[in-house]
Amino acid sequence: MDTLLVIVIYIVAAAGTLALGLLSRWYDRKLTAMVQYRKGPPVYQPIADVLKLFYKETLVPATARATGFLLAPAVSLAAVSLAASILWAAMFARDGSFVGDLIVVVYLLIIPPLATILGASASGNPYASIGASREMKLILSYELPLFLALMVGVVHAGWTLRLGAMAASGAAVYSISGVLAMIVAILAVQAKLGQVPFDAAEAECEIMSGVYVEYSGPPLALIYLSRAMLLATMPLLLITVLWGGLQGGWGVLAFAGKYILLITLATLIRNTNPRLRIDQTVKLFWYGLTPIAVLAVVLAVLGSSWKISWL
Amino acid sequence: MALKNWALRKSLWVYHVNTGACNNCDIEVLDLLTPRYDIERFGMILVGSPRHADVLAVTGSCTRQAQPRLQEVYRQTAKPCVVMAIGSCANAQGIFAESYHMGSPVDETIRAVDPDAIIAYVPGCPPKPEAMIAAVVKAWDVINTL
Amino acid sequence: MSQAVTPSRAQVPLVGFVGQALAELGDAVVAVERCDERRGVARIDAERTLEVAKKLLAMDGSRLATATGIDVRDGIDVLYHWCFEPQGVVITIKVLAARPSLTLESIATHVPAANWIEREMHDLLGANFRNHPDMRRLILDDSWPEGVYPLRKDFDQVADRPPLPPVPPAPEEGVS
Repeated sequence: MDTLLVIVIYIVAAAGTLALGLLSRWYDRKLTAMVQYRKGPPVYQPIADVLKLFYKETLVPATARATGFLLAPAVSLAAVSLAASILWAAMFARDGSFVGDLIVVVYLLIIPPLATILGASASGNPYASIGASREMKLILSYELPLFLALMVGVVHAGWTLRLGAMAASGAAVYSISGVLAMIVAILAVQAKLGQVPFDAAEAECEIMSGVYVEYSGPPLALIYLSRAMLLATMPLLLITVLWGGLQGGWGVLAFAGKYILLITLATLIRNTNPRLRIDQTVKLFWYGLTPIAVLAVVLAVLGSSWKISWL
Repeated sequence: MALKNWALRKSLWVYHVNTGACNNCDIEVLDLLTPRYDIERFGMILVGSPRHADVLAVTGSCTRQAQPRLQEVYRQTAKPCVVMAIGSCANAQGIFAESYHMGSPVDETIRAVDPDAIIAYVPGCPPKPEAMIAAVVKAWDVINTL
Repeated sequence: MSQAVTPSRAQVPLVGFVGQALAELGDAVVAVERCDERRGVARIDAERTLEVAKKLLAMDGSRLATATGIDVRDGIDVLYHWCFEPQGVVITIKVLAARPSLTLESIATHVPAANWIEREMHDLLGANFRNHPDMRRLILDDSWPEGVYPLRKDFDQVADRPPLPPVPPAPEEGVS
């Protein structure tokens, strides 16, 4: 009975994140339109996109390996749904999270880019293989700074690996190391979401949508859904680990404000920057952001051992 | 299938194919994305791959070199899809109809591959963006009968 | 061996920078049709094409801008247009590729700018260039038959058009 309840809660959380993700996609497009002095699409636009894709036919190219090609979007969606459910469970029921669930969530969130690489390599298209190799380089560059930034949250919460405890222990972002970690995390999230300036893997005009070039119909709809859910999940992760999670009462409004702020930042960075080449991206992450993240971790460790809370 | 037709009407993704145009029609297609006409409020965006597309915006009189390639691109587009033949060159090859290097006009080229293709003709040299939006609205009527 | 072609006008006096450049080409010049302050047109001997091209390329400030092919009664007239940008001058060198062989020495090995334009003249007019390093089809499409030259005066644009390319074969695609 208890297990059944947990499963139902997980399913409800995944569906809720899906709805939140589609709403965030609309918000992103509307904000982009406002920045570009246009009217944007109506609020039901992402739903119309997904429905239309489900009704189109699926085309599998002759040179593709159909199994990997069609399995990749489903695997990606499943991984993001599970990660989102664990995050919501940690936020709502503090003791619903288990030791090490931060690690579980982080490796579940590596699966969507890996599934993208699998699907692109199975496409049998030279543009897709260029996109896949760029996505591999992207993963190698942003995962380390992201994890170091999350470590800052771990240190501030008293060296715990339970998301529930991190959410309960107060915000890590109100400290120097927290601010540095947040900056690094926001840029790493931008890369994970595959958004400009780090979307060299899915470069629309350059390599004809790169990794997704051969997808059509329902698989493309699953890719759209998993990217929308990733857009909703990453700010949730950042808020849970670094910004104090979801408190009751007025905390709900504060949580909504933090979420909207993070999505707005991602959109504005997307609208005001050109796309970086893949070598520029790798250099930025390895020579620029990783040292900052290491500095943040060092400051956080010093602050925690010397009991200085603002370090 | 009202939901299917509603979703297709509200979310048309466009892939642009230039089969030998002078680029005037391409510039007018680009105008559609600017704030003055803004087709994104109708849900139409430009996509990078024909497999993602619902509308093939074809400009240019189809030259011999472009003809088999246009047919391949049409085959790779997931059905149901609408072909918009934009400009006098795409409709009937305009002033280039008697040139030595012309293939068949865009509609004959597409119908050789798929006799039931939905083709929207947008006359003009180049057509105004309002004409292209009007063509999309007319295409909606055909989509509703699918 | 000089060709039997009469200059379109009598010889004009060689003045200015253009006159200087044409004088350097020596007796390869068969006739000078125009020698103004900024424009020069001269016909040269078909056998000395490469030598003239090398001399012009060696001149200071010269570059081959483009080349033109004209289908005339005696053969194919090939015009090489040389620009001298520091002096603001264009000199056109006319060479006749006489019938029936329609052959000229290619200058592409020494003047790389002539590579593609000679391929285009071969595609559209059928002018043959001996020793061209890379004589492949340039602008006509893959299904165009060999030996049909569309810009010749005896090619009717509509009646002589070759059959259109076939529909590419449908691959086996998985459709659901």
